[in-house]
Amino acid sequence: MPEDTDKPPLLRSWSDWYLLVLGFLLLQVVLYTLLTQTYA
Amino acid sequence: MRTADWIVLMLTLAGIILYGIARSHRSRDIEGYFLSNREMPWYLILLSIMGTQASAITFLSAPGQAFTDGMRFVQYYFGLPLAMIILCITFVPLYHRLRLFTAYEFLETRFDRKTRILTSLIFLVSRALSTGISIYAPSIILSSLLGWDIYLTNIVMGGLLIIYTVNGGARAVAYTQQMILAVVFGGMFLAGAYAVSMLPEGIGFQEALHISGRLGRFNVITTGFSEEGFDWTDRYNLLSGSIGGFFLALSYFGTDHSQVGRYLTARSIRESRMGLLINGLVKVPMQFLILLTGTMVFAFYQFHESPLHFNRVAVDQVMSSSYRDSVQQLQAAHAALQEEKRLLVERLGTAVHSGKPAVRDSSLDALAGLQQTEDALRGDMKGYMKAAGVAAANDTNYIFLRFVLDYLPAGLVGLLIAVIFLSAWGSIAAALNSLASCTMVDIHRTFVRQSAGDARELRLSKLYTLVWGLFCVLVAELATDMGSLIEAVNILGSWFYGVILGIFLVAFYLKHVGGGAVFRAAIFGEAVVITMYVTTELAWLWLNVIGAVTVVLAALTLQGWMGKSAPAVHAPKVLDSDP
Repeated sequence: MPEDTDKPPLLRSWSDWYLLVLGFLLLQVVLYTLLTQTYA
Repeated sequence: MRTADWIVLMLTLAGIILYGIARSHRSRDIEGYFLSNREMPWYLILLSIMGTQASAITFLSAPGQAFTDGMRFVQYYFGLPLAMIILCITFVPLYHRLRLFTAYEFLETRFDRKTRILTSLIFLVSRALSTGISIYAPSIILSSLLGWDIYLTNIVMGGLLIIYTVNGGARAVAYTQQMILAVVFGGMFLAGAYAVSMLPEGIGFQEALHISGRLGRFNVITTGFSEEGFDWTDRYNLLSGSIGGFFLALSYFGTDHSQVGRYLTARSIRESRMGLLINGLVKVPMQFLILLTGTMVFAFYQFHESPLHFNRVAVDQVMSSSYRDSVQQLQAAHAALQEEKRLLVERLGTAVHSGKPAVRDSSLDALAGLQQTEDALRGDMKGYMKAAGVAAANDTNYIFLRFVLDYLPAGLVGLLIAVIFLSAWGSIAAALNSLASCTMVDIHRTFVRQSAGDARELRLSKLYTLVWGLFCVLVAELATDMGSLIEAVNILGSWFYGVILGIFLVAFYLKHVGGGAVFRAAIFGEAVVITMYVTTELAWLWLNVIGAVTVVLAALTLQGWMGKSAPAVHAPKVLDSDP
């Protein structure tokens, strides 16, 4: 059986992966900004 | 090093070699040898990708970077997660469906043979030289700090791993990388925890963060903007890390065969993608934690006397130069500063202990002022060293190991030295495997013989792995006598990454552009990158963007001028006959 090469692993679509990765990155930027300000 | 350290070091290194040999299954052909019969699960792909990227210098340099410049280095990885998705959508399925051995095979099918050979040769030269340097760089640090013979250290650093890499191929590389990462992360965690545990009573993790932050070492996010606008020479900020880091990650993971060769071993497209995507999610937090170890070491040195320069050999060299008197004046000023600092941290400790926030804050402000003076003294020391012709004037890579050797208990020192060797082995083993694979598939099969039979090709592949291993150790041995050339070799990678990425982007996305246009565009792009490097002070991450964009634009323009469209082939016919 050929593999469905368009289907991403774990999530339903690549848009979901973009959202997850960019969301997680944004969350980290916010967290690190807060840490930078808190401990500056 | 004490007896316990030697025992831990020897046992750890021997354990990894034996594990590598035990995990080496007999391969029948080069598909088994270079690609582990394409049967690896995603978690081994993930660990192999991580183990290939993280070399010894990663674990030596990152804590030192946090010590001298703060946490902002983490932004260098901000473009990586997005690059992983692009790779998973575009590069990975095509590589798998074509059942490629090397990334550069694709360029012959898409363009022509000369583009494939040019790109493969660029990879072979730059990867072999940088692997030699990644043997030499940690070796020189260990030999300086421990008084070991540099030539012998190079052999242990780059030679012992050849045993299991030649014998077991990609499978042994992947399995040992799994064990290596477990030892490396365990060792780094223990070192960070020990630094915190040795802080004075009342000064905990939170206070250590406050100290590092107030003294400018917890600057995780920086924008690169000032009143004069954006600083293009600033190496690590949100913009350069996100854009430059994105192009670098796309090029490194998508076109550098030392990485492509790792995920080509996956049993399916899904397993490759899983490895890359999870790598994208864990990379930034992982790097944050490694840098955090450096800030803990920095906080630790606020309560313990820190040397003006962490490389004693370099200090001895400058002391025997004409700058001796000036350096002695610096050392006297530094000693007085240390005494002033000792009194301040005592006041800080008492203030924290007795709950006096006003005294605590004023002590931290005063400490910050002293730190600026200390940074200036350290800068002056490096200036004298450079003027005296001392090769290792920059001591960033020496800071963490100096801390380990001076303060960690017996046994743990041996483990941390093993961490340095093993992290080097993980990335060097993958590099040797990929160098041999490109030599066999891209060069040997093209110029010597199309196919010489499975058994003979397998023997030759092992021989190429051995020869590349010996060559890289030789480069490391020669590097010992070439001090100033080392930096040039390190920069070499950033000259080529963008251009190679540009070639691949044209291959994937500009279907009407042919081999003639892209070949000329690559040469033009390379000239632009080198000119930019030589004539400007642009931070090197931007070279990746410039190289890729120049090749894409030049290829489009040239194809327009040439007027003749290439066959609209996005991928070869093989793509349609997917198994």
